[in-house]
Amino acid sequence: MAVKAPALRGNRMIAKAHALRIEEERFGWKLILPSVIIIGSLIIYPIIYNMYLSLFDVKLQGANIYIGLQNYKNVLSDPSFWHAVLTTFIYVISTTIGTTLIGLGVALVMVKNFPFRGLVRALILLPYIAPVISVVFSWQFFFDPVNGLFMHVTYDMLHLFDKRFNLIGSPQNAVIVAIIFNIWRSFPFSYLMILSRLQSIDSSGYEAAEIDGASSWQKFRYITFPELYFVIGSIVILRVIWNFNKFEDVYLLTDNVKVLSVYTYFKAFTGVMDQGQGAALALIQFLLLIGFILFYVKKVLKW
Amino acid sequence: MVVKKKNFIRKTGFFLLILLIVTFAVFPFLQMLSLSLKYQFDWGNPSLIPRKINLEAYKELLNIGTKLRTVPDSIKRLLENKALTRAQKRSITKKYQETGDIFPFLRYFWNSFFLSFTASFISLIVATLGAYSFSRVNYRGRGIIQRGVLFVYMFGGILLLIPLYQVAIKSGLARTGSGSFISLLVIYMVQTLPVSLYMLGNYFRSIPFSIEEAALIDGCTRFEIIYRVIIPLSLPALSTVFIYAFMIAWNEYLFASVFLRSYKNLYTLPIGLKALFVSKNAIWDRIMAASILTATPVVILFMIVQKNLVSGLTSGGVKE
Repeated sequence: MAVKAPALRGNRMIAKAHALRIEEERFGWKLILPSVIIIGSLIIYPIIYNMYLSLFDVKLQGANIYIGLQNYKNVLSDPSFWHAVLTTFIYVISTTIGTTLIGLGVALVMVKNFPFRGLVRALILLPYIAPVISVVFSWQFFFDPVNGLFMHVTYDMLHLFDKRFNLIGSPQNAVIVAIIFNIWRSFPFSYLMILSRLQSIDSSGYEAAEIDGASSWQKFRYITFPELYFVIGSIVILRVIWNFNKFEDVYLLTDNVKVLSVYTYFKAFTGVMDQGQGAALALIQFLLLIGFILFYVKKVLKW
Repeated sequence: MVVKKKNFIRKTGFFLLILLIVTFAVFPFLQMLSLSLKYQFDWGNPSLIPRKINLEAYKELLNIGTKLRTVPDSIKRLLENKALTRAQKRSITKKYQETGDIFPFLRYFWNSFFLSFTASFISLIVATLGAYSFSRVNYRGRGIIQRGVLFVYMFGGILLLIPLYQVAIKSGLARTGSGSFISLLVIYMVQTLPVSLYMLGNYFRSIPFSIEEAALIDGCTRFEIIYRVIIPLSLPALSTVFIYAFMIAWNEYLFASVFLRSYKNLYTLPIGLKALFVSKNAIWDRIMAASILTATPVVILFMIVQKNLVSGLTSGGVKE
């Protein structure tokens, strides 16, 4: 008896611990359940439904007609689709490189001490904070053929062109403006990420390098840059994901630039509103993004 | 002497660089402000300072002193007729005010505000519970959920747009204005939920466990701990997340343009502004004044939480 009692108590304690664990598990699930239900029914389910829709001729009224892979065939045999893919790649690559480089440059300046630094740091976040719709019109005005400052400088003052024209008006030039606009809007993000990493670099490395007589380029190349490698890697991947899916930044500035999101939007919500093809397009866009990321992770980050 | 000169050049160069960066970032905003205050004859003038200040655009958008502007003079004379009852007069003026010629800025503003506020508030409550769960409670499946939340970042709006629109059509929700508005509200809540979950989860992990243990010993239940200990301790983080979610909903264009397309009264600011620009009312001073007024609430909110928001951004809690 006397020997058994502690074992029994031990068993009871294990049972109690077990009950506690089950209770903890229940509690955890109870709290996460609303989020899981909401994300499941309004994000996961729609994506599966999107795959299903892409196999149908979707009617706005009445029943959908099953057409197998016809939507995909139609999409892939359309040259304007391939043009949209090309535009998207140009857009994503240039904006990603642009934001990262400008963000890096600005961060290297802002890490130094100067008067009104707090104010300056707050001001340069404005492009990132302000709603897209509130800044596109100012950019459109800047390139306005009659009143805009761009034409005033290039045509009236520098005589670079022989007549006034709207730079956002033609698809080839509009891409350039869309890229500059996106860089302007999102450079504060990469600047912030890089700045916060810069501020956490230990200064003793720089002091030692100075004693050894290192130039500023050498200090950047051998101390700063290795510290920034990882943060720049993550900025690039985030920017690729976001810019690949960008819609508002492009469409609200000009509907002349048909990146994939805009192309799909026009297919699915204007004219005959071919939502079946739209669904196929959205899925292809998603697969392209995944492919791009896998390639990037393997080849560039070498994970 | 030579060193001093070199230093001086360096310093000037540095300040010019800062000036360049600030100009690059801020110029479009200055142009907006300047143009919203200019008269038409002044639009081609490259200087940012208006020759004459024009406040008409703001007055019109904010409905100051424009009550009777659009009513023709003959009708105004008719209104002075004492034989008319007040109700009759009101119905006459109302007829003239609703011709659609004025840009109903305040209504769009209110629609946007209501949608963004409600959606981010509900999202905040759901996310507080969820984030507490996966940052503090141990259970199987927790890792999958946490990673799943991150995975949702990859989905662009366009991938969800068509299926959600089809669901709204097939279920009949898109047939009425209120149905579409509620669908949009729910969509905004979902769109802000993953970010809120992620940011709050990161924050909750930084609260020391010992505080919770002390509360447990004092006899609090786990649920009481959330609203007696965790919520009061995380008020700055909660308000940051709320404002961040609010900004996402306030800026959203894609879903609003599809769901509210045929319900002009329910337009939010982004689609209202876009419609203003393509309509015959497209006048630069009004557009710029509307832009300034749309950006202002967001910029003010940002100023309030700037410090917290910046650290939230850099710790990875962002979505575009």
